[in-house]
Amino acid sequence: MQKYSVFNLIKNAFNNHEGWEVAWKDPAPKNEYDVIIIGGGGHGLATAYYLAKEHNIRKVAIIEKGWIGGGNVGRNTTIIRSNYMHDENALFSEFGMNLWRSMSQELNFNIMFSPRGIINLAHSDAQMNAYSRRGNSMRLNGIDAVLLDRDQVKKIIPMADFSENVRFPIFGGLMQPSAGTARHDGVAWGYARQADSMGVDIIQNCEVTGFDVVAGKIKGIRTSKGNIKANKVGLCVAGSTSILAEKLNMTLPIETHLLQACVSEPVKPILDHVVTFGAGHFYCSQSDKGEMVMGGDLDGYNSYAQRGNLPTLQHVLTEGIAMMPFLSKLKMLRTWGGIMDMSMDGSPIIDKTHIEGLYLNCGWCYGGFKATPASGWTFAHTIAQDRVHELNAGYSLNRFNTGHLLDEKGLGTKTWIS
Amino acid sequence: MSQNFRLNNIGLINRNKKISFKFNGKKYFGYEGDTLASALIANGVHLIGRSFKYHRPRGFFGAGVDEPYAAVQLNRNNETEPNVKATEQELFEGLEANSVNCWPSVNFDIGAINNLLKMFFPAGFYYKTFMWPKSFWYKIYEPFIRKAAGLGVASTKHDKERYEHKYEYCDLLIAGSGPSGLASAYSAAKNGAKIILAEDKARFGGTLLTDDVNIGNQNGKEWADNIISELKKMPNVIVKNRSQVFGYYDHNMLVMSERISDHLPITQKYIPKQRLWYIRAKEVIISSGSIERPLVFGNNDTPGVMLSSAAKEYLKIYGVLVGKKPLIFTNNDSGYETAIEFKKNGIEPIILDTRKNPNSEIINEAKNLNIKIKFSYVVVVAKGYKKVKSAEIAKISDDKKILSNIENIDCDCICVSGFWTPTIHLASQSGAKTKFNKDIDAFVPDKSKQKETTVGAANGVYTLEETLKTSFDIGYQLSKKITLKDNRVSVPSVVEKKSEVHDKFWCVPLPEGKNYKRFLDFQNDVSVADIELALREGYRSIEHVKRYTTLGMATDQGKTSNLNGLQLVSEVENKIVPEVGHTTFRPPYTPVTIGAIVGREVGKHSKPTRKSPMHQWHEKNNAIFVDAGVWLRPRYYKRGDETLFEASKREAKNVRKNVGVCDVTTLGKIDIKGPDSAEFLNRVYTNAWLKLPVGKARYGVMLREDGIVMDDGTTTRISENHYHMTTTTAQAANVLSHLEYYLQIVWPELDVNVVSTTEQWAGAAIAGPKSRQVLQKLFPKINLSNEGLPFMGYLESDLFGISARIFRISFSGELAYEVNVQSDNGNFMWEKIMEVGKEFNIEAYGTEALSTLRIEMGHVAGSELDGRTIPYDNSLEGMVSKKKDFIGKRSLNREAFVADDRQKVVGVVPLDKKTSIPEGSYLVKDANAKLPNPKLGHVSASCWSVEYDNPFSLAIVKDGKNMIGQKLFALSPLKNKSIPVEIVSSHYVDPKGERVRS
Amino acid sequence: MLHIKCPHCGLRSQNEFAYGGDASVKRPELNKEVSDKEWNHFVYLRKSLRGKHLELWHHISGCRQWIKVQRDTATHEIFKTFKASEEI
Repeated sequence: MQKYSVFNLIKNAFNNHEGWEVAWKDPAPKNEYDVIIIGGGGHGLATAYYLAKEHNIRKVAIIEKGWIGGGNVGRNTTIIRSNYMHDENALFSEFGMNLWRSMSQELNFNIMFSPRGIINLAHSDAQMNAYSRRGNSMRLNGIDAVLLDRDQVKKIIPMADFSENVRFPIFGGLMQPSAGTARHDGVAWGYARQADSMGVDIIQNCEVTGFDVVAGKIKGIRTSKGNIKANKVGLCVAGSTSILAEKLNMTLPIETHLLQACVSEPVKPILDHVVTFGAGHFYCSQSDKGEMVMGGDLDGYNSYAQRGNLPTLQHVLTEGIAMMPFLSKLKMLRTWGGIMDMSMDGSPIIDKTHIEGLYLNCGWCYGGFKATPASGWTFAHTIAQDRVHELNAGYSLNRFNTGHLLDEKGLGTKTWIS
Repeated sequence: MSQNFRLNNIGLINRNKKISFKFNGKKYFGYEGDTLASALIANGVHLIGRSFKYHRPRGFFGAGVDEPYAAVQLNRNNETEPNVKATEQELFEGLEANSVNCWPSVNFDIGAINNLLKMFFPAGFYYKTFMWPKSFWYKIYEPFIRKAAGLGVASTKHDKERYEHKYEYCDLLIAGSGPSGLASAYSAAKNGAKIILAEDKARFGGTLLTDDVNIGNQNGKEWADNIISELKKMPNVIVKNRSQVFGYYDHNMLVMSERISDHLPITQKYIPKQRLWYIRAKEVIISSGSIERPLVFGNNDTPGVMLSSAAKEYLKIYGVLVGKKPLIFTNNDSGYETAIEFKKNGIEPIILDTRKNPNSEIINEAKNLNIKIKFSYVVVVAKGYKKVKSAEIAKISDDKKILSNIENIDCDCICVSGFWTPTIHLASQSGAKTKFNKDIDAFVPDKSKQKETTVGAANGVYTLEETLKTSFDIGYQLSKKITLKDNRVSVPSVVEKKSEVHDKFWCVPLPEGKNYKRFLDFQNDVSVADIELALREGYRSIEHVKRYTTLGMATDQGKTSNLNGLQLVSEVENKIVPEVGHTTFRPPYTPVTIGAIVGREVGKHSKPTRKSPMHQWHEKNNAIFVDAGVWLRPRYYKRGDETLFEASKREAKNVRKNVGVCDVTTLGKIDIKGPDSAEFLNRVYTNAWLKLPVGKARYGVMLREDGIVMDDGTTTRISENHYHMTTTTAQAANVLSHLEYYLQIVWPELDVNVVSTTEQWAGAAIAGPKSRQVLQKLFPKINLSNEGLPFMGYLESDLFGISARIFRISFSGELAYEVNVQSDNGNFMWEKIMEVGKEFNIEAYGTEALSTLRIEMGHVAGSELDGRTIPYDNSLEGMVSKKKDFIGKRSLNREAFVADDRQKVVGVVPLDKKTSIPEGSYLVKDANAKLPNPKLGHVSASCWSVEYDNPFSLAIVKDGKNMIGQKLFALSPLKNKSIPVEIVSSHYVDPKGERVRS
Repeated sequence: MLHIKCPHCGLRSQNEFAYGGDASVKRPELNKEVSDKEWNHFVYLRKSLRGKHLELWHHISGCRQWIKVQRDTATHEIFKTFKASEEI
């Protein structure tokens, strides 16, 4: 595979950049694979990459209905963090943080991981206490966390609302300095390029229409490009999980909902960190291009439409201005929506299923992007070894039967409430 | 500086009103009715800014929303605003604007070094480099890139402007007031429909203002003016200029932003800057017209290259010449119209037509005017850096591949026309699929998805006659459907010049050995070579191309670049354009001010503020308030320079020693009536409710179906079929919805009604050993002994002439009562309590003292009932009936919930009896264990026990029942604290609960 | 913004309503023995249909009635709305 480097960039410049090879091929599907990953999003691509790299399983196909990276990996607000309270979520995410830190070099693709720090603002002593609980849990799990008082927050983000004319004054915040952002498209493309180079077939514009299950074992899938055999199939399709599960007569503890995000027009650097509002649900960071990248609540009703409505954004931006009044004069440039696989306790599922050889990776709610490497790594392990890794042991499907739930927010099964 | 490029006898500007303004610190003049762009061009200023990536000089390419860049920093109303489009900003007296994305100045921009190095910066170059050494991306490269990126500068100040919202319903919303919009609006309005006609620009009429046409014996502009003035007089019509319909949402909800003050030097008091309209329309007519497509050639981004339609608009509307030696480069007849206008105003244009031998009325007119025309000719490259100085032109072969006769000709502007692209954004946002119309090489809306109809140029109809005919008809048909009226107006006669078909050619090949940059996206600097590179590297879907090259992702969202991008992809990939498809159109059509989207809900009004009827008393008595949801509650009453700690300790102590009163108005209150009320409560709460006598209250816990505690509170049986439920402040709304759900959906057979009475009652909790004495003063007539009003008893009486409800319930663990009166009497009640309580040393206490009192009593509250705990965890298992079924019961026997070492609430006391344990600390066995350190539980609430005068906390701990007596460490790494502690019972004070019954 | 026809009040904007989820979820009867599987199915499992979806909405800023709405989850088209008491 061609190496990406500044030397190659210069070399190719003198050749009008005509010497660059394709980042990934566009092959037709073969008849059979060792493993089929359904879903060419970040998680699917990462899974295929780690199957090849960590487990030397290279007869792998990624089956993607549209074009790779077209789902939530390309529709998120690019935040990467491990500021979780529950041990299962925290240790899983922190494992992922380590993968993020070296991803550009490992994939030889600059995914622009930028540990600019995330600050969760608190607007009452009670919230400071709740954040202390989370922050202390992080620290005891070996994750960096700092509790900031009002003055410390003011120093870091002076443009937040510290005026008198504020409904919910800022009391302080919880910061994870090593959290940050990454270039979302780059993650998908970087994994795709490396997976492809190790022999993984990336099959785009190929829709899965059915499954072949014989005597409780998966034997292959049916697609718009023909039947493909495999004894192991991993389902990695986020918001489309329920649609495919239905074809397998499975009902899952997830609902598909729409989450919108938007960006402002680009402006000169004003916000270095990722900041979240504590008296509502709003998060914001500034992209390298200068756009304020903003998100918040779900549209609030089951949805498979990748389009949302303005009142939700109005609500989100209201909280945005409440947090950082300067946003008012900026213009909203672009809005989009992604369909989220909201699980019934807000935490994901990476597990085997009752069908032998069928593996499930879903329920990522708002947190799919940051989980991309850890999800791919553990899912690859689960598929390759046919058993869960200790990192994803908590993400079992069975927890909904046993009551070992991982409810970070304590909101229960009403997934549409954010 | 004089307006050298202004003509005297043409244009719609008001020459009687001269306006002075500043651009980049230099003073200029324009006229009322100018845009910033037209005024600058009139003054010969074409260099407006620098491009995003290469910092190449940028001029004006369009004349309105078609402009791909032209962003300036605008100072207005003593505030600064980034990224205002000069082609849309109307001129006002004293306007000050500056170029963005350049330093030190737009003329001399250091960043332009990027342009020299551009060969190293192809599409997506950043994915291939900046990776080594590892830490350099975040520390070195990225900060540098961030600094270079971004356009204008955001003000860090609060926005002083006011933005408003308006909701409107109409029969028909018409977006765009060009010929199709005017015709359909007029036709529908005459047929009685309630319509809204929206025009983005300041002037109505669209292309009628610039096209040389005749309608019903008037010229286009006269006709438009007459229609508008007639519409404005009609009561069923709202006509709005400066109003952009930017979003088409579900169920025919459209959103429009109206710019009310942006064209004025200052915003008048009580007048908004902008108004956002949410419009629910029965039918929508999209008459948004079309945007001219660029032709692509070498250095086609040089200032002075612009759309021929824009040049015509500057001429006819603003009386401004974009150049005095114009070169018109066209593949269709539109370029000729611009050339003819130049010629009529004494300027000699040269037309280069890519077509070999076209023939039409318009072309003949140009010929008759002796305009120089070169057929089968193209512009190869624009020459000049900050302004077009000349152009290399060439003859092009019939197959459009070979250039010959390359020559250099003098010109000061190049007006390009690559035919027209319908503005289909709104139709596409509505959900309509698009179809490719080969006749115009562009997409048009396919079958409508919602109630939208696209007419005129937006629908690919480019002749006025056809446009008017169909628009009049559609206005009539749609209105008839709604109004059921049948008043049809006749379609006026039209005189327009016939045109010849356009040439599909759009991109000039490079001459041998030349490597000119040919740009598609002028703001993001995306060139033909960038798209070719993306395709070469396998980024083949149009979405991949867009994301890899950033084509169409600038602030104009690709209005002039997207279609050319598609044409290029289809050519390289050897596909037809519809196979390539296009990226999704999403709102907003043009960027919308965030303040306008938010409206008036800013500052203190970002969320409502709820205050109890006693709020003013609290204020007068130095209450320091705390937010409890949207309620404001007194946290403590400050005396002198007391701290929170001191004040709350004093207040809590006084409750334990004498008597205190706390405002509990914010608790949720639900009135429950009906013969099945007892049965209903019995299903809702975990404990038994069937035998609660009238006049008695009971504490209850309710679960979610997943077994997690949802809320707790007391409910009182007021009469046989009437109960009064209280909820926590936080859960009040949820509990009501929850009850309604079960009554309406799950158990509709139960005859019960529930209604919120939170706002109806003001509540005061009077607690402490002397509370009975205070009560007796308030209610001298009733017997308040344990017999007269026992613990959990209820009475009604009158309090100095007003009726009151008296509950003997306690949250503080002391002898306590809660008195409720109608909200209007709340303050009266409160003042009476303070008055009669004075002799017993009554003091008001706030939420902080309330917390102290409940914590040391071991009463669980929100920090324990955190949406993750079951009754057992909170030591409420005694409240869980084994005999009956209730909501959530079935979940309680799940493995994790019945585990032997299940977490449970306990008390925590520091061994030194001095060090307060921060809330949110964790309990561990070994304070110095290596990470991850196993956590046994967390400290949920802490207080200073006023009973024992030492710190006390509640914690929820694994295997809590067996932990009493254990010595552990409470760790708060965030606060750098490691405190040796002992686990004790959570019932720290009065474990037997004797006081409440005293 | 959705426009929902409340069977009690008429056509109203979505912001008057709160969403209540899948209306096909039926709570097991009280006091009836149900298996773990059945119970967990009721509490946690959702079909999450793409297409026609029968769901509950609560007219909280209106008549406070829970209603049933048949809506397409891909297009948001609302086919019909019902009172809670109406069987579909």
